[in-house]
Amino acid sequence: MLLIDLTVNGLIIGLFYALMAIGLSLIFGILRIVNFAHGEFYMIGAYAYTLIALFFGISPWLTLPCAFIAGMALGWATERLLMRPLYSGYASWGVMKDEYAVIITFALSLLLINLVDKVIGPNGYRGPSLVATTRVEIGPFMASGHRLMAAGIALLVLIAVGLFVRYSYWGRQIQAVAQNRLGASLAGIDTAKASSIVFALSGGLAALAGALLSPIINATPDVGAFPAVKSYVIVVLGGMGSIPGAAVASLILGVLESFGAVYISYGYRDTFGLVILILVLLFRPHGLFGERSREV
Amino acid sequence: MAVTFNDTRMRDRIQLVFSLGIFALVALLPAIVRNEYWQGVLIVSMYFAMLAAAWNLLAGYTGQFSLAPAAFGMIGAYVTGLLSYHFNAPPLVGIPAAVVVSAAIGFGLGRIVLRLRGPYLALTTLSFAEICRLVISNSIEITRGDLGLSVPGIFDHRLTWYYVMLGVLVVIQLGLYFLLRAPAGLYLRAIRDDEIAAASRGVKIVLWKTNAFTLSAAISGLAGALYGHFAQFVSPELGLLSQTGIIVSMVVIGGLATLPGPIGGAFLVYVASEFLRDFGGYQLIVFALLVIIFARFFREGLWGFFRRAIERTGRRPAPAPSAAE
Repeated sequence: MLLIDLTVNGLIIGLFYALMAIGLSLIFGILRIVNFAHGEFYMIGAYAYTLIALFFGISPWLTLPCAFIAGMALGWATERLLMRPLYSGYASWGVMKDEYAVIITFALSLLLINLVDKVIGPNGYRGPSLVATTRVEIGPFMASGHRLMAAGIALLVLIAVGLFVRYSYWGRQIQAVAQNRLGASLAGIDTAKASSIVFALSGGLAALAGALLSPIINATPDVGAFPAVKSYVIVVLGGMGSIPGAAVASLILGVLESFGAVYISYGYRDTFGLVILILVLLFRPHGLFGERSREV
Repeated sequence: MAVTFNDTRMRDRIQLVFSLGIFALVALLPAIVRNEYWQGVLIVSMYFAMLAAAWNLLAGYTGQFSLAPAAFGMIGAYVTGLLSYHFNAPPLVGIPAAVVVSAAIGFGLGRIVLRLRGPYLALTTLSFAEICRLVISNSIEITRGDLGLSVPGIFDHRLTWYYVMLGVLVVIQLGLYFLLRAPAGLYLRAIRDDEIAAASRGVKIVLWKTNAFTLSAAISGLAGALYGHFAQFVSPELGLLSQTGIIVSMVVIGGLATLPGPIGGAFLVYVASEFLRDFGGYQLIVFALLVIIFARFFREGLWGFFRRAIERTGRRPAPAPSAAE
């Protein structure tokens, strides 16, 4: 029965990973950059959820959207203020656009971590649970009520995001820009706006993941580092820029880790994902599910 | 004669003169800075300057944006640390061993990431750095994990350390200058600017990329080993990603792909961070903000301001002939 327990728990964790990884994958798709500040979007979400609930005493159901909006605002501001040189013809970084993106997002991550550390303090805050039930038993499987509810919300949001990107007006524009930025702009698509929407959306998703997990993992300034590394591994595993790939890879990693923590050494647990990341990049750079990209 | 910066050689020479100027200033500083603590701060700045110069060779001149400079510093420190802890090896054995091992690991990493570019390279080197740190902090039987190792010192006097570190830094900087002046410097820059075009002109991409990785890792390893003996203590914290963040900020604030940039940046950033620490520890916030502002608006860093100032004074001695006569 341990098997079922571990599998279901792994899948639940995988859903939260997917919230992070899909945003990262969307950003990579549209701007060809890795957002090294993605973990800090998660952290901001965790703090927004925890602190608003703490200070205003509102129901956690109302603060959850607040966290989402805070993440969206941060993502949107990041894109507007810092990502413009990537596509709007700034000559100063010339050929080194990738390097610019790495520097700027890396520095943003450092800035947000230390800013929160100074303003709010290094102590952890525990978020309020969405459901009061502490223990739900379904056959052999046990979990806290909050965990199940959060997993349900994550699943619903993931489906909504999938539908949005696949069918909505803006979603299709995002797909077009991801396929070919120049072609999309020639077809009259506002590529700058599409980039802003993607950053806002992925900031919101990461913040939502942070908010949903804050009753389980305390909100601290560096809480984002751990989910961020996971989402890098997932995005590489699923193929950079592929959304279905990221979703599947999230669930796989969740289950693998859930088993790994029990059957393999705990201390080295975090290194496995990183080794997988390097191996995939070396031998299958287009990911396990992604299509091989063609260059002329 | 107006000083122009069109000629790469001339540009490098002016930059070398400037960095030698910084070294001269630093060499004179102990005359004013008599406090042992602040001399120590300057020595640690030199450690960072070495790492920054090594990373600048890789990221600035070769365009290989590695996120593992701090990891190589940590590897160097641990090689000499472990040798002296387990085998009582003297620093004269430990430090060269650190250089060789770091260079070998750098060579391996360089071979592995040959095909990767941009975000892929950044992710791979970041994972490599984290793996190194996690392995060291989890191999408790060998490395004592997060407790760290105590390492014997070398010199009793702080001033001896000061001038030895400065001497090593000068040698590294001169070495980098001569490397950049040689055809190798052109190869590296050509790879950075356009790899395919460089290959089509006969630049051996594989050879020079690996060379850059190896050399950069060797310098970082040397810096780490020296630092370990100076601090008499090594811990996995040397390889934290925030340390890489500090090194990157030094280079970006000083000026990426310039000779004096990383050196000046290292001294300014580290000394300023010691000052800021006294005012409530806002140093990392300030630096991250500065890096964002510099990267966004002043790509050339502080060196860019200097360059423009020199160009302006260079033009002044030749006044325009008066049109009235």
